[in-house]
Amino acid sequence: MNEYLPLQGVRICDFTAVWAGQTATMYLADMGAECIKVENPFIWNPMTRAASPRINAMVAAILPPWIAGHPPEPGPRPWNNSPAFIQVLRNKKSVTVDSRRPEGLEIVKQIIRSSDVIAENLALGTLEKLGLSDDAIRAERPDIIILHMPAFGRTGAYIEGRGYGAHIDSVAGSTILRGYRDSSPSDNVGIFAGDYWGGMHGAFALMAALRHRRRTGEGQVIEMAQVESSAHMFPQAALDAAWNGRAHRSVGNRSIEGFVPNGVFPTAGTDRWIAISCRSDQEWRALVEFMGNPDWAASPDLGTAAGRARQEELVEARVAEWTAVRDRDELFHALQTAGVTAGPVLTAGEAAQDPHLAATGTWKRLPATEDYPEVDWLRPAYRFSKSDVDLRTPPCLFGEHNDYVYRDLLGFDDDTIERLRAEGHIADTFAPEALENG
Amino acid sequence: MDALEGLTVLDFTSHLAGPYCTKLLADTGARVIKIERPGGDPARAQQPFLGDQPGPDRGATWHYLNTNKESVAVDLANPGSRDVVRRLMGAAQLAVTSSTPLVERELGIDYATLSGYADVPVVSVTNFGHDGPYRDYRLSDTVLYAMGAEMYSHGLAHREPLKLGGTAAVLQGGAMAAVAAMGAVTAYEVHGVGQLVDVPLFTVQISNIDRRSSSILAYRFSGRVQQRPQGAGGLAGGVYPVADGYVEVTATAGNYWRRFVDMIDDDALREPKWDNPMTAMDPAAKEEADGIVYPWMLSRTRAEVWDEARRARAMVAPIYDGTDLFGDENFHDRGLWAEIEHHEIGRQPILGRPYIFEKTPWRIRSAAPALGQHTDAVLGELGYATGEIGRLRAEGVVA
Repeated sequence: MNEYLPLQGVRICDFTAVWAGQTATMYLADMGAECIKVENPFIWNPMTRAASPRINAMVAAILPPWIAGHPPEPGPRPWNNSPAFIQVLRNKKSVTVDSRRPEGLEIVKQIIRSSDVIAENLALGTLEKLGLSDDAIRAERPDIIILHMPAFGRTGAYIEGRGYGAHIDSVAGSTILRGYRDSSPSDNVGIFAGDYWGGMHGAFALMAALRHRRRTGEGQVIEMAQVESSAHMFPQAALDAAWNGRAHRSVGNRSIEGFVPNGVFPTAGTDRWIAISCRSDQEWRALVEFMGNPDWAASPDLGTAAGRARQEELVEARVAEWTAVRDRDELFHALQTAGVTAGPVLTAGEAAQDPHLAATGTWKRLPATEDYPEVDWLRPAYRFSKSDVDLRTPPCLFGEHNDYVYRDLLGFDDDTIERLRAEGHIADTFAPEALENG
Repeated sequence: MDALEGLTVLDFTSHLAGPYCTKLLADTGARVIKIERPGGDPARAQQPFLGDQPGPDRGATWHYLNTNKESVAVDLANPGSRDVVRRLMGAAQLAVTSSTPLVERELGIDYATLSGYADVPVVSVTNFGHDGPYRDYRLSDTVLYAMGAEMYSHGLAHREPLKLGGTAAVLQGGAMAAVAAMGAVTAYEVHGVGQLVDVPLFTVQISNIDRRSSSILAYRFSGRVQQRPQGAGGLAGGVYPVADGYVEVTATAGNYWRRFVDMIDDDALREPKWDNPMTAMDPAAKEEADGIVYPWMLSRTRAEVWDEARRARAMVAPIYDGTDLFGDENFHDRGLWAEIEHHEIGRQPILGRPYIFEKTPWRIRSAAPALGQHTDAVLGELGYATGEIGRLRAEGVVA
């Protein structure tokens, strides 16, 4: 396979956590950057490798599957098999070091000296507390690119604000838009759209800065406040407020693009649903014809989107009656063939077995490790016809690349490595209690 | 110097996803030449409009997505357009398309045709990719989100699953395409290779880390599937009403619970019995905690709650709508909002930089173009004489 990896030769010193930061560096690792995840064996970084370092099967079972659906039990190293996090570690390398101790900090600085990028989204001030201010980082490597991804910004009134994706979504204007039309936003919680969005924008900004550095030799600092990037996910609501003073609220599953009907309708069976959008009057006519030209749909008022919008509840109720007795998947293919935009509400299990995803090479099977079984893993979402942008190496287990980093990259000898292992810098297991007790 | 200075992008996209991709490129300094159909990009007809008065140059969605771009109006369905596209490709280092594979071929903007003109990268934003059983299927934001998996787990058990607001799922595809575009440009500049980069919106949605890809892996690991409602963990958690709206709370046992209690500052909640993950499972305990938390919340505004939360470093934030975001002085001062200047709509606020570069600016050089505003200038640059441009216009090839 011809590689042509875009970021071959770029090294990232990776201090990212949770999803936003870890996906940003994942996209660069997918493109060929050598991403070295710096992990501290004595500090449990919340929501970065698992819900907890000591999670047992009983607790895992009461937590949601996306965070605690370990295979099938967490086992002794839950940080190596949480479905929420292990897959954002693909194509990366993991090194351990206790960066709070002077010798550990010196090791981190050595990694920084050989890095092109340092990326972080830790609580504001964490890197500074370690002795890694922007100035200190640039003292080691003047042309480095530094990416900070704070929640609410590194300046301004909200620097003390703390939050995960849910809180970022709240301030960015996402949460208010995603409930039912007739109830409060509390009906639809635990959604973190801004994490993924922030990761993509962080990766984009890094690659733009890398281009500038290739052309000028100049590094720079990038600050991406996650709430500010997330606001861009809802430009219609933000700009209707700015231009017309209008505050948007949830429209449920209706369209803000003027599509009627646009919604999620029941189909035969239990809890099976189909999404249907008539994106044009032509699609509406196709739907009506496919339904067999029922009398209720014959009214000329319904021929235009504006006319249908005036009777939206009636249209939705009639369509729902019609879908409710039909098979979801048959309806999906038949409606699409008839020229109507429609698709099933897939469960995670159904998506895992979707024939289109399987046929288009979405997954790649990785062999089992001690921590997880042989299963199919996601490849990057895009296909490059020449560059080998792919799932090339499995997700990095905790400390998996200590040998590579300490021996090959930093050039330490066996005695030094043994000493660093004895002192707890080099480890393959989390021991947050070790220092507390010692 | 702008980060993407010197990069010319030929932009065949329309609607939302593709234009968001090329907007990110344009706002960072690339020259983006938008090839617009004679009737105009359908995004010109999208709400909201300034003063609710429709018009092709009055839409906020249109203006937002097309800052810093040039518009060349070309009827790609007219075979006479092939030479124009060939010459445009000769001037570009990247092309971006957002049509289905069938339409790409009809319009002569498929990869085989474009790469025959110039061997530069082509990023192709598609619904379902260039092969597979759903290849020619249609998508909307809602259908995309439904099929992307985990809409299933959003909402209440006895009601229909819920989507995200606005057109977030489609725009996510555009953002992912921008990452792909930077990879393709880098490979072109570093290795000298052109190539096709296929960005299927469906696959992007499936890959979305927000409870989609993680839920699929969880299913493979454990066989478990999230049901509606997911709910929020902890003794307190999720959305709470306050005096003037809502706030979002995370207060799971441990640090986050202790900071939450510090925010509420009620000694009754400081008893150790509360700080235990199993307590949250007990409805009576939850009701007792709610009896303290709800009155505290309801007697404060969002701003007051957020002040107390920041003091205590509690994981609590206000639920904003667009007017809150626009009205927030902090975000104005930091530069979240920028301005466009346009001959028809005047000076208007627009969402500004998503990131702050120390050395390379994010900036608005021009507002979104009128349809065909740059047709003559760009065709002139490509070597078309004025008479030839007139002939192409008379033949309906350009406008």
